[in-house]
Amino acid sequence: MSEYFGVKVEDLFSTMPERFRPEGAEGIDASFGYDIQGEGKWKLTVKDKKIKIEKTPNLSGCVTVTTTDGETFVGINLGKVDAMKAFSSGKFKVEGDFGALAKTGKMFRKYVPPPRELTTKEYILDMFGTLEKRFQPERAEGLGVSIGYDIGGEDGGKWTAVIQGGKCAVKEGLAENLSVKLQAQATDWVALMLGKTDAMSLLSAGRAAVAGDAKLALKLGEIFAPYVPPGEKAAEQELIVLRKTISVDQKFATGPVMGKFLNGLKDKKIMANQCPKCGRFQLPPREVCAECRVRATGWKEVGPKGHLMVMDVVYYASPDPLTGETRETPYGSIHVLLDGCKGNETFWHLLRRDQVFQVKEAWGEEKGTRLRPVWAEHRTGSIHDIQYFEIDD
Amino acid sequence: MAHGKKNRNVGIVGIGQTQYSSHREDVNQPEMVQEAVRLALKDAGISIRDVDCVVHGNMELFEMVHQPDLWHVLGTGGYGKGGYRITTGGTTGSTLVAAADNLTASGMYDVVMAIGFEKLQEGHTTGGITNMADPLWARNLLTGALSGHTAARMIKEFGEDRAKRAAMTMRIIMDKHACLNPNSHRAFGLEFDQMESLMETSPRLVGDLRLIHMCSQSDGACALILAEEKRAKEISKKPVWIRDHITIHREETFNVFGLEPPESTHHFAARNLFERNGIKDPLEYFDVFEMYDPSAWWGVDWLRDFFLLEGDEHLKLVENKEVMIGGKIPMNPSGGVVAANPIGATATARVAEAALQVRGDAGRHQIPKPVRHALASGFGGTIWTVLFLLEKELTGWGE
Repeated sequence: MSEYFGVKVEDLFSTMPERFRPEGAEGIDASFGYDIQGEGKWKLTVKDKKIKIEKTPNLSGCVTVTTTDGETFVGINLGKVDAMKAFSSGKFKVEGDFGALAKTGKMFRKYVPPPRELTTKEYILDMFGTLEKRFQPERAEGLGVSIGYDIGGEDGGKWTAVIQGGKCAVKEGLAENLSVKLQAQATDWVALMLGKTDAMSLLSAGRAAVAGDAKLALKLGEIFAPYVPPGEKAAEQELIVLRKTISVDQKFATGPVMGKFLNGLKDKKIMANQCPKCGRFQLPPREVCAECRVRATGWKEVGPKGHLMVMDVVYYASPDPLTGETRETPYGSIHVLLDGCKGNETFWHLLRRDQVFQVKEAWGEEKGTRLRPVWAEHRTGSIHDIQYFEIDD
Repeated sequence: MAHGKKNRNVGIVGIGQTQYSSHREDVNQPEMVQEAVRLALKDAGISIRDVDCVVHGNMELFEMVHQPDLWHVLGTGGYGKGGYRITTGGTTGSTLVAAADNLTASGMYDVVMAIGFEKLQEGHTTGGITNMADPLWARNLLTGALSGHTAARMIKEFGEDRAKRAAMTMRIIMDKHACLNPNSHRAFGLEFDQMESLMETSPRLVGDLRLIHMCSQSDGACALILAEEKRAKEISKKPVWIRDHITIHREETFNVFGLEPPESTHHFAARNLFERNGIKDPLEYFDVFEMYDPSAWWGVDWLRDFFLLEGDEHLKLVENKEVMIGGKIPMNPSGGVVAANPIGATATARVAEAALQVRGDAGRHQIPKPVRHALASGFGGTIWTVLFLLEKELTGWGE
């Protein structure tokens, strides 16, 4: 059985009982035949404001028999084909009491095709087919980029959206010199566009990848209006999300204890303070030993060289909270046991970036790589007085 | 440790959780909080008029909203009631339940509602956590809650292959649990045969901590209603009794990277809590454990601390899938924090999910054996611990 305009002939007949309006069947007592070429024959019987519809080769006893083809029949019911034209051109023929048939016009509510879930392939084609239309130039001022979409799987494909001069052009295939390339399987892409999953989840599960300008990828949700499947209306009102950026100029008093340590850095000295009870050194110093809860009064210069204890190799590009700039990755966040320190008296700083993969952590009896601080030329009494630690060879 | 006995018994009588998700642009903060509050009231079968006090919490640095408890009054129903705001970073969600328990046990209020929430999409989570560190030194060095230290230590202790497999086994178990929980933010449908591929392909965050191991950034709210014994029995057919809870913080400067790492706060909390409650063998005693597991690596590692285990006993629990629903000690039947992490609500949800298990009302992720004793943990800051003991029966504790 074929579909016409996405609807089967069968659908029109099988939904007749639900579309039936008893008030429209006042005074009708008759049977009507429908001979839909290539599809079959149906008989509609109306009596006492009730109907019966059956598929039957026998249309005897009908006051009218309508003969037409499937496309015309469905088209007229959906309002896609002009009934008068079809009638005039002979595509739609009625034998018998034409006046009786006309009365059936008020007997049924209009057929409305149920919303149909598109196939993945149809979604993908529609999503990229509507991408240019969904481009919002006011959100892409001054932007000159090309975005590649590499959608995998049987239903996938490759597209490139070129944004230039406030216009967006979508072409099939991946262009060279893409600003960013997004990769995902077709089913995941459809779920993402329909809001059934989110990008971070796909990225986490390794089911999507972003190559190139990740910041641009994050902006795509603004540059393009949300995808709305065909036949569905966009939300009644825009769900407005307000954007705020807080930028606060802060200053923190360091106090005499931390201040002594920071002043030491100006003179290339690393000063630890000591708990008089347990004897441990604190780096940076704290006023009180938290273990013994007594004032830590002793001072000693330690390092500046030492051994690496523990290093975190950070790949995650987090913003430096002081500058807002994204940190260069990977970088090594290190805990160093400076000369003169013992146990857990480690000092937290950064490793020279190009040496991240050349150092060794301590483990058991084995000492970690020997390191030395690299001092800043202009020292102001801050963490930046030490630029980083590097291998001491 | 000095520890007073409870003045009155306190039971959990109402539990409400929103769907956890990264897509809550459809509601503002008070509207989202209200969803959890309504569910908790419905669960308890009481009205907001029956609640005497509201304890409200999240982490201000994430959304940068000062006094959200005042903004949220329309959603919390706190108008005209006693009210407290709790904000202790990651432990907020459990600290506010601890506070609600103390407020009820003290006799100050008979019925207290604890509400944890977060809309992490409205701020910058890692930036927020980084700014939590002391501004004189650590703020310049921290990368949110991300650390590869535990992974590196486990790899050194147990070998690369065994350690990585244990972490990924834990991750896949958590995902299988998450798939059973309709409130999960992340439920991927991972299979054990994807282990090798995930171990290699998931993007690295820090060292061997990969994106797949790490918890999500979720939006959501969780509300619990607590009542003193008499009211609890009137309100609920099966109140879940809060037997005890403990909070352990360490000095805020990390001192765990040296040659002699001190006893972890998790171990200290568990040891003291079990000792004062006469629990000699925690692995035998507890039927279920809801752990605040920010990553799969920590999930595995902390099992050793919380159950006072030795050597590789914790690894075996994971390798033999004893932490899976149906195993000896199911951990996070809810899917845990890697499945949903609305930070201010995350630790509240651990208590909520443990309580649902005790009640037998967890639905598809209910564990198959009867649950009499449950453990729930909270985590935050420089390894802070809050630990809850929940009981089905009011009597016979410690037997």
